Formats: sequence, structure tokens, C-alpha cells
Amino acid sequence: MASNMRGLTQFIADIRGARVRDLEEKRINKEMANIRKKFKDGNLDGYQKKKYVAKVLYTYILGYKVDVGHMEAVNLISSHKYSEKQIGYLAVTLLMHENSDFLRLVVNSIRKDLDDNNEIHNCLALHAIANVGGTEMAEALCEDVHRLLISPTSESMVKKKAALTLLRMYRKHPDVIPAAEWALRIVAIMDDLDLGVVLCVTTLVMALAQDHLEPFAVCYQKAVDRLNRLVVEHEYSATYAYYKVPSPWLQVKLLRLLQYYPPSEDPAIQSTLYTVLETIMNNSAEQSRNMQHNNAQRAVLFEAIGLSIHLDANSPLVGTAAVLLARFISSKETNVRYLGLDTLAHLAARADSLEAIKKHQGTVIHSLRDRDISVRRRALDLLYSMCDVDNSELIVGELLRYLKVADYALREEMVLKIAILTEKYAPSYRWYVDTILELISAAGDHVGDEVWYRVVQIVTNTEDLQAYAARVVYERLKSPASHESLVKVGGYILGEYGHLIANDDGYSPLEQLHVLHTKSQFCAAPTRALLLSTYIKWVNVFPEIKPQLINIFERYRHVLDSELQQRACEFYALASRPDDDELLQNVCEEIPPFPARESALVGRMNKKHGATEDKRTWVHGGKDVNTDREANKQKRTPTGETPANGSASSPPNSAISALLGLDMSAAQTRNFDDNLASPGPAALLSKPSIAANVAVGPNVDRWFEKLSFSNDGVLYEDIQIQVGIKSRYQGHIGQVAVYIGNKLSSPFTSFTTKLDIEDPEALSVTFAKMPPTLIAARSQSQQILHVECKKFFRAPPILTISFLAGAHQTIAIRLPIVLTRFFEHVNLGPTEFFERWKLIGGAPREAQNVFPINLTAGGDIDRDRQRTVVSGHRLNLLTDVDPNPNNLVGAAVLHTSVDGKVGCLLRLEPNRDAKLCRLTVRSTSEDVSGEVLRLLKKPLSVDAAL
Amino acid sequence: MIHSVIIFNTSGVPRLTKFYTPIYQSTQTLVQKIYSLINTRSAGLCNFLDAPELEDFLGRRDEHEQLRVVYRSYATLHFVFVVDASESELGVLDLIQVFVESLDRAFENVCELDLVFHFDEVHHILAEIIQGGLVLETNLEEIDSSVRHAAQARKQSFASANPLALGVGGGVGPRSAGIPTPLGWLTGKLTGVGAR
Repeated sequence: MASNMRGLTQFIADIRGARVRDLEEKRINKEMANIRKKFKDGNLDGYQKKKYVAKVLYTYILGYKVDVGHMEAVNLISSHKYSEKQIGYLAVTLLMHENSDFLRLVVNSIRKDLDDNNEIHNCLALHAIANVGGTEMAEALCEDVHRLLISPTSESMVKKKAALTLLRMYRKHPDVIPAAEWALRIVAIMDDLDLGVVLCVTTLVMALAQDHLEPFAVCYQKAVDRLNRLVVEHEYSATYAYYKVPSPWLQVKLLRLLQYYPPSEDPAIQSTLYTVLETIMNNSAEQSRNMQHNNAQRAVLFEAIGLSIHLDANSPLVGTAAVLLARFISSKETNVRYLGLDTLAHLAARADSLEAIKKHQGTVIHSLRDRDISVRRRALDLLYSMCDVDNSELIVGELLRYLKVADYALREEMVLKIAILTEKYAPSYRWYVDTILELISAAGDHVGDEVWYRVVQIVTNTEDLQAYAARVVYERLKSPASHESLVKVGGYILGEYGHLIANDDGYSPLEQLHVLHTKSQFCAAPTRALLLSTYIKWVNVFPEIKPQLINIFERYRHVLDSELQQRACEFYALASRPDDDELLQNVCEEIPPFPARESALVGRMNKKHGATEDKRTWVHGGKDVNTDREANKQKRTPTGETPANGSASSPPNSAISALLGLDMSAAQTRNFDDNLASPGPAALLSKPSIAANVAVGPNVDRWFEKLSFSNDGVLYEDIQIQVGIKSRYQGHIGQVAVYIGNKLSSPFTSFTTKLDIEDPEALSVTFAKMPPTLIAARSQSQQILHVECKKFFRAPPILTISFLAGAHQTIAIRLPIVLTRFFEHVNLGPTEFFERWKLIGGAPREAQNVFPINLTAGGDIDRDRQRTVVSGHRLNLLTDVDPNPNNLVGAAVLHTSVDGKVGCLLRLEPNRDAKLCRLTVRSTSEDVSGEVLRLLKKPLSVDAAL
Repeated sequence: MIHSVIIFNTSGVPRLTKFYTPIYQSTQTLVQKIYSLINTRSAGLCNFLDAPELEDFLGRRDEHEQLRVVYRSYATLHFVFVVDASESELGVLDLIQVFVESLDRAFENVCELDLVFHFDEVHHILAEIIQGGLVLETNLEEIDSSVRHAAQARKQSFASANPLALGVGGGVGPRSAGIPTPLGWLTGKLTGVGAR
């Protein structure tokens, strides 16, 4: 289109024709002057404006600064002609940045384009926001963009752009996006049919989920499901295959997303994910001739390995991965070597055992000499991560040798890493001192102060080491060129511990003084000051050289540096005092050991780690470093499980016990109210919101109540959906089939189910396999749940179903899995029954309540119903125990897998005349008695929902 | 996130510069810096480069948010993407390939001159692939159809503005403008020659 503007083409041709830079600049200046004049005169039509703005843009692209055209660009945006609009938007995205004042002027035009029916105008507007949008735009336009994203009428092209634009707004101004509130709706789009949309939404979810793990948790299963469809089932449109690899970008994103979450507990998801990862690794075994194919394949593979390591660094999958990586790091292709080393470093950072990696130590060390600096850097990182006590001498030795020839850009980092490794994995203190002194001599300029401080600390605190250190440092100082850091270490150590070696040959006080003092003239003032302190210490321990020392102080009294001068004067005065004076001795008392503290070096590293609000899921360094980091993160962002559970689980317990005997639905709602009312950030978390969403209503209660004492039936129904239940229980194990029927004439898409169990320690409910994401029109889908009762529990699990049928719908239902489902019959005769009855005794292990009942139409006790309820709750009705035929007596044993069995006895005594009924439950556990009473009372009393 | 996309030729002249995060110094010096980093690297080396040197230009990062340069050279042009740790290196390399292939489709055998004279079009194509530093679309067909869609709209608006210009307009495949262009800098690309 540039070709449609002759003036522009001419301009470009002129600039290309300019032989030297000066001419080019001249031509540009001339043009800019012309444009400025034209703009100033005004009265330009759209075409002219477009042409001049295009020239300005070209100038900008060449790298020149431009200061005209902003206003015209703003005008072009509101033009009705697409060609002018497009150039206008291009100019806005190129010439302006998020804080430009001009952007205020375009907000309204952008809003108009967002609301336009023409999708290519929507796209232009979205693109502009995504590139230059700042806080202000986010505030003004967030709602519009969100609407474009979720509207069912939006085209894929618009949805994609809207997703990324929303992400930009979130980055710039997180507060405008109610992330938790929008979470389910946004995650639902991950099931879109268009993979392009899925890619963009996944990117958005990745960013939001990092900060809001809990509300977005459902994206975990979406990601696994999508990977399964791409990788295992090959379910994707052919155009999304890139050199035969199904959308590698999407795969990489999904694999990365999964690394933000702790590994899933759900066995169905786990097994699907393992299949996916396995398939990816197997796919990579076949090498193709096509480079692009290999590239894409490996991009996915490396991310998959990363995820495998994240899931479980000791799984057989990672074993396979380690073998692959070993092959990669000796590959001919540089890119592969680079990424191989990088991923191995990840493995080393997480794995419990470094054995698998150590096998390839030789190759890694060899990589330090690769001809590519990028590879050398990765090799250094890996060596740092894979070092431990066994191989530290070797690795540190190699690093020291390499340090002398290393690139300058690398040295400082290397020194820090060597110092840390030396300290962390030193096999002996002597080796430590040797190595650090070697390090200081080899790379003096790059050695930070922390390094030598730490040596001093360690030597001071380790008595055995002091004489040795003094000797070694003395030997090193004898060499003609010593680095200043070495002089500092020498000054300190000889001053403190020089006297320990003074009686040996060649280490006499005079010689020590000589060695140190000849270095002092090459040193800066702070070092000299340190040496003066050394001398005053010597005055105390080496009286034989006192005259020389006093002489030195005397000379330093006249230097210009005020700090040195003051020190010298003070020391001079101190040294000149009479010999029997105790002051000197007291001043020069031996340094006491330092309090044990964390190494300043590691501290420096950790500080860097701690501050990362990062996208990386691991850092270089050993396993412990990563574990610490996780812990830090937990501390910093207390949005995890713990507080959520804390606030959500304690109120219900206390509330239920307080309200024991009241009807159940009331208790439930009360709890939920409590939760909602609980202030603070916890209220934003998912538990309360799920609870608040639990479907209520007379029907829902009736269905739930009915199913709590029968095996099959309807659990929920409305005009769109029907949920039915079939269940079987044996002992502490149960199997529940949930039938979900779509009653509409259009399919449910993005179908998602989620289970919330208040106390997973007590009750486990899992899907047998991952649920489908689509339920066709007028059809039914069956999902099997495995149930296991581990301990006593009260709250039934909550099943949350969400789907897209036009709008996004969410229904949360209590599953009728209650304590009595895990009862098994016992048969007792009258004597046995009463024996046990008495044995258990009264309160607190007895729970009793008297409540009103309804009579049948004939004015009699509804005996059939009572029998159905009691036996439906899986208690064995015992005959011949109670002489009164109206009374019911039952017995059962509760099976739990962790806490074992609990016996439970029951007596129901209705009274027709009083329309009352007394229910007594005795059990060896007071919790069980109370709970059984609560469960049975409801359907028997007048409050029964049925 | 992708921080910038830069195309320059083997003499270091920028052909496209796009920054998704604000830069702190002049574009020209930044391009020169990257050029000097890359130009010295021989063909066999890897396509990734740690670039702590660029921090002065693009703002200082965290220790573990280090910028990396991912580049790929095609005949006379270097395609350079500056990315952070959240992008997969190989993925970005693939993305460069997608970008080049899209250019090739739009310009029918693209050459450096196309990028010079149709810089706006190149930006539009890039806009269909990357938006605000994030990958928008990777499917060639989709990218192509979006680009055509926009070109169509432009053509219409152009025609309606200037009834005499019927048939002259149109942005894609604009060889019709009659600018002589040296051929073939991209021909080796699909077979992978010189596409390291």
C-alpha cells in the first residue's frame, strides 16, 4: 500500500539512494521540515495526512527521533476509511508509549472501534491497547475487552486479540481485573474449538493463575485434557500442525502452565498426564531429517522434561529423560547442547540424587570449553547445581582452572559460585582455605569483599585451622605479586594468629613484618589502615619487633589521609605506654568467635532468589536451595491452602456441634453464612464461594435427603440439566455413578466437573477417569466416582459442574455421601444388644433427642416409612429385641480404613398420642452418635422435606 | 514475553524495529549493540545468546529474568527476538520461521526490498503473529487470511476514496509497483540451507 503513495515511495527511494549517512540525514531533515510546515498549515485531507504520517513512520523505523505526527495519527484513527485508520493505529503503536499524553485523546476512538460491529475495527483497537495501553486505558476499557472475549458472537480472530489485550491490562493494572470472579468463565474458553483462541487464552490464564492459583485451579485439568487430545489422540485441525508437530507453542504453554501448580492428587489426571509425557518422550526418539520438525519436537520435549522433573524428580519418566539429556549434551547441534545443559541444571536443582547426572560429569566439564559462550554459561550453571561433597574438589578444581581463561563477562559470577561451592561442600577446612586463597590469587579483581570476610570468619571460629591458615597465607604473600584482597586476609590472619607460627623456622616476627609491610605500599588506604591494626596487635605479642613497629606508626602520623593519621596517632600512643601497662593487652585481646550466621555469600544469592516474582519454576543450585525458595514463596504469598482450610473448616465443626440436633439444612446455611461473613482475603478464596454457590431449594434438599438413605435416584434437575446417582457401598469403599443429562437441544461445551472435599484426610472421592469436556444435545454422560471413607466425617463432598450453554453456568451440588453409607449390618440377639447398650452407657457417647412426628392419614404412626429410613441408612433392624412393636431397634458397624470400625446401636420410640418420637443412638464414638442422630432425625421428623 | 523484534541486514541497517517494552536509549545504539553481538558469531554456533549487555537498553531485570537473544539469519537479513525466561527458546526459533514464511506468502517470494518499501505491511503481518509481546497466532493459514482480510478492507476504502484508482490499490503482492528487486534471498530457506 505504500506503493499507493507516490510521495512516500519517492522518499524511500531517495533515502536508499543516499550514498553517505550525511546525505541521508539531510534528506530526512528536509522532509521533516516540510511535513512540519504542512501540519502547521493544517487543512490536509485524509490521504495527505496518511501519506505524511507514513513518511514520519519510515523515518522512525530507520532509528531517527521524530517529534511530529502524533496529533495527525490521533485524527487518522477516527477516520472512517480503513486504510487511514490502519496507518493511524500503526503510528500510535509505534510512536507512543504507555505514558504518552496523546493516548488520552484516543481512548474514545478506541472505545468506538471496540464497540463497532466490524471485527477488523475491533482488531485494530485491541491491538493498539495491547501494545501501548497503560493504567488509564485499562481502567476505561477493561469491561469492553472482556465482553469481546466472552461474547459468544465474537469471531475467533477477535477473541484471540481480546485475550492478549486483557493480559496486557492485567500486567499494567492488576486491580481492574476481578481475576477470581472471571476465572471460571475465562478458563472455559480453553475448550474452544479454535486452537488459536486456546493458545491466547492459555497465555492469559498462565499469567492470571500465577497470582490466583486457587480460583484458576480448574485450568489444570483443562490443560491435561488438551494435551491429551493433541498428543495422544491427535485431535486437532491440520493447519495447526507445524512441520507435523501439533501446535508446539500451545503444547509448550500448557506444559509450562502445569508447572505452576503442585502435582495433582487426582489419580485420573495423573495417569493421563503420565501418558502424555511418555508419548512426548517416545516421539522424540524418532529423528527426522527436517530441521524445523526437530526443533518443534524438541521445544515440546524440553518443556515436557521440565514438567516431569517438577512432578516427581525421582520417577522412571525422569530416568528416561536423563538418558535423553545425556545424549543431547554431546550432540553435534549447538542449540541442542545448550538446551540439554539447561534442562540438566533443572534436574540437578530438583533431584534427590545426583548420581544420574554425575555419570556425565566429564562431558559437562568438557562443555566449559565449548566454542560458544552461550553453551559455556549453561555448563557453568550446571556444574554449580550438580556439585556436592563427593565431587566438589574435582568441580571446584576445574572451575578454578577455567577461571583463569574464562571470558571477563563470566568471571564475577564464577568467583561467587566457586566461593559458595567451596564453603558449602568443603571436605576439609584446609582444603577450604587453600581453595579460597587460590581463588583470591587467581581472580583478585573479581573477588567481592564477602568472599574474604567469610574466610576470616571461618578461620576465627575454627581453632584447628588457625596455625595452618597463618602458614599458608604467609607462603602466598611471599610471592612477588599478591592481590590486595590477599593482603587484607594476610593482614588479618597474621595479626591474630601470626604468633602461633612465630617459633617455626622462616616464620619469625621480623620476617612476617617484612613480608606484609613490603606489600603495603601498593595498597589503597583502607588496606593500609587494616595493616596498622595488624601492627598494633603485634606490638602486644611480639615485643622483639616493637621498635620497628613504633617507627612505622611514627611515620604514619604524618600522612595526609585523616583516617590513617588518626589510627597511627592512637596506636602510637598506645604502643608507647610503659611495658607493664595492661591497657594494650586488654585492647588486643584475641578476637572471640563470631556468632554462627548464615554465609553472606549464600545470603546474597538467596536475596536475589527471594525477590523474584518470577516465571521460572526453579533456580540454579542444589535441591535445598529450591526447597528453601519454595518455603519463602509460601511465606510471602499466604494465598495457599492453609488459611483457606483454616477458616473454612473450623467454623463448620464448631457450628455443627453447637447446633447439634437442629435440622441439617439450616446448619449448612448457617455455616456458609459464617464463611461469607468472614472478612479478609480468605473470603475471596474458593471454598466460601463454592459453598455460597451450592444449589438450595426445597427440591434440592428433598433429593439429597432421599438419596442419603437410598442408593439410586435423582440428585438435581432443572430445565437444562439432570443429575442422577447410582451407588454401591461395601465396607469403607463405595462406587458412585453420576449420570449427567443434557436436556437442551444444543451441546454443553467446556464441560467441567470439580470435587471439593472438606477434609481429604477423612474422605476420599475421585473420578475414575477424566470427565469429557462436551456433552452432546439430549444425551447423557456417566462418570464413576471412587469413594473411600478413611475417618469420621461430617460434611458431604460438593460436586461443582460448570459448562457453556450460551452463557457460562455453574451448579454446585452436595453429593449424598454421608457417614451412614459406610455402615454394615450386624446381627445381635436381645441379650447381646442390651449388654452392649449398657456397656456404652449414657452421655457423652449417647445422643438422644425427642422431636415431633407426622402421623399417617389414618392417624397412625408411619411405621413403614420409619423402617425405610432406618434400614435405608444401612442399620440392621433387629426384631425380638424390644417388646413394643412400635419401637425400632437397629445395629450397625461403621467401617473406616484408617480409624477402623465403630459399632453403633439405635432405638426409635414413637408415641402416637403425643405425636412425638424419641431417638437414641449409642456408639463407641461420641462423634458418630451425634452424626447418626442428626442424619436420621431429619427424614423422620415433621421437618422432613419429603 | 517477547520484548522486541528487530530485523536488520548484514550491514546492520535496521529494516524493522518493534519494541513491546519501553526502551531507555536510542534505537540506533541498541540495534548497533545487538548487531555487534551477533555479527561476530559464526554459523555453527547456537541461536541463543544471553544478553546481560542489553539491560541498559531494556531495563534491568531480575537475576532470573535474564534477557536472551534468539536470532536466526536468512541470507542478507538477521531476525532477532529479545525474549525473557518465560519463552521457550526453540519455540521462539520456530516463531521466527513462521514470521518469515508469512512474509513470504504475503509478498510472494519476499526480499529485503519488500521490507523497505512495504514497512507498514510488514508491521501489519507482525501484528497478526505477535501482539503486545505475546504470541497471537502461529497458524500460517490463519495469519495469511487475517492479512488478506485487512488488505481487502484497505482496498475497498481506497477504491471508495478514489474512483479512478480502481484496481491500482491493494497491498498484498505489490510487485505491481514495478520496483526491481533482487531475487532469491529466501529461496534456500525452506530446505533449511543457511537457515541456522
